Amino acid sequence: MMIQIENLYRTFHHGGNEVPVLKDINLNIKKGECVVLTGVSGSGKTTLLSLIAGLDKPSSGKVLIEGEPISKLPDLFASELRAKKIGMIFQHFNLFEHLTVNENVTVPLIPSGLKMKEIQTKVDAALNLANIRHKKETQAGRLSGGEKQRTAIARALVADPNIILCDEPTANLDRDNSLLFIEIVKELHSLGKTIVIATHDPLFDNLDFNSTIIPMLDGKIVEEFNDE
Amino acid sequence: MMNEVFLSNQVIVFLLSESTLFSLLFIAFVVSFKILLKWDFESFTPYQFTLERQAYLVSTIIYFVFIMKFILIVYFIFTIDVLSLLVPGAMCAAGVITANDYGSYLLILKLTILFFLTLWFYVHYYDMRTKNHLWFKQKSLLFSSIFLMILLELILDFSYFSHIDTQIPVNCCSTLFGQLEGANPLPFGLSINMLLILFYLLYALMILTIKSSQTLLYIIANILFVYIAYYAVVYFFGTYVYQLPTHKCPFCMMQAEYFYIGYVLWGSLFLATYMGISNALTTLLMGKNHTRSQINVAYLLSLFVLLCTAYVAVYYIKNGVLL
Repeated sequence: MMIQIENLYRTFHHGGNEVPVLKDINLNIKKGECVVLTGVSGSGKTTLLSLIAGLDKPSSGKVLIEGEPISKLPDLFASELRAKKIGMIFQHFNLFEHLTVNENVTVPLIPSGLKMKEIQTKVDAALNLANIRHKKETQAGRLSGGEKQRTAIARALVADPNIILCDEPTANLDRDNSLLFIEIVKELHSLGKTIVIATHDPLFDNLDFNSTIIPMLDGKIVEEFNDE
Repeated sequence: MMNEVFLSNQVIVFLLSESTLFSLLFIAFVVSFKILLKWDFESFTPYQFTLERQAYLVSTIIYFVFIMKFILIVYFIFTIDVLSLLVPGAMCAAGVITANDYGSYLLILKLTILFFLTLWFYVHYYDMRTKNHLWFKQKSLLFSSIFLMILLELILDFSYFSHIDTQIPVNCCSTLFGQLEGANPLPFGLSINMLLILFYLLYALMILTIKSSQTLLYIIANILFVYIAYYAVVYFFGTYVYQLPTHKCPFCMMQAEYFYIGYVLWGSLFLATYMGISNALTTLLMGKNHTRSQINVAYLLSLFVLLCTAYVAVYYIKNGVLL
């Protein structure tokens, strides 16, 4: 199993009140599976992604990545695991606007200790896969929304992670770019990547490849069904 | 009765800083005690996750306070040096530190605490590099011991500064540091020449054993070196800093007229000793060894020895004679 989630709870404390955001989440995601978490704003999708990525710690419960409890790992190890196994794509792209596309995609490999030549080979491969190589010398701040998203995809792929987590990836894209994004997801899926997408975009409701849609409401998984 | 020393600006700033840091440590101590009792890293319960969050916060507080303690020792020396203007007979911090019975104990305690802080940094470093916080309990116990020492230090801080009498003259420098007629102030009845030979031999021994498996030998050499180095600086190298054969003081060299070189000399010596022994102890007790730290220790020791030697060499080149 690539991702295992057991009895996961996450509660935030706000103004002296307890706000439960995730309640008893249990989920198993197999290697190469594509899972789409759907639900309205506030249903807990992004919090769940953060916990899978080890960016946040749960209030209780387990998150295991290939058997490794990322929810218990100290920051140093969680960062290491994230750098090797997880690529993230965000709603607002989170690019360095003053850096070029090439530089943005290079950033995750800087701590790897690889030689610049090796890094550039990997960066070029990721740029090709995300179909943005033709813009590699352009500053990120000068790109369109779709191009920024493709740069973010290249950055997520450059370390060749097994897991890709996408948080509302099409929220800032028009329909054409959203469809283009889905095509890239399809390609990643065919490469055997495990993909988890948190979205409320209806375009993901009828993907033309094998995927599992998991609706969420008020911090709980409502039901689970496969579109096949 | 409050005296003018106790109410001087530097002393107020120093005591206020020490008290603030102690308050932070007190909170950390109470929380860490609770964590220590209930800690079970294998558990996935809400309570354990809460403890882990608190442990992270406590470690951050302790880390911050301990870094500040290193800065505060420098400010402590600076403060008592400034106070020498108020205490009759004192020419530098040396006179002020002996103005009452608390001073010497306080200084020794401060230096001891700094050693244990360095050791805590090493244990913390290794603990943060294990997936299951393997050294968490040892680290917490070490912190508890340090906390008690810091509590004693705070009491001594207040006792010391509130008992400096500005009406009673103190002894300073040459009178204090073994210049009594006929007495040999050097350890083991050594002559200056033998002291210097031992100084350089111990330095060589430490550099040679720093990366060897002779950990115990390295620790002994380290302790011996800091002891011998103290006397070598005060009774030989220091006289070249002051360019006066009768001026034998460990504190005056920390004044502006000597370009604060004392801070660099003593700082490099003590930091190298603390780091060297801490690294060796973690090697012995935890089976861990930090190569980069060993290299830094070698650099610090070499800086100390080079600086000491340079003062003598420069004086000789300038004047053609030794003191």
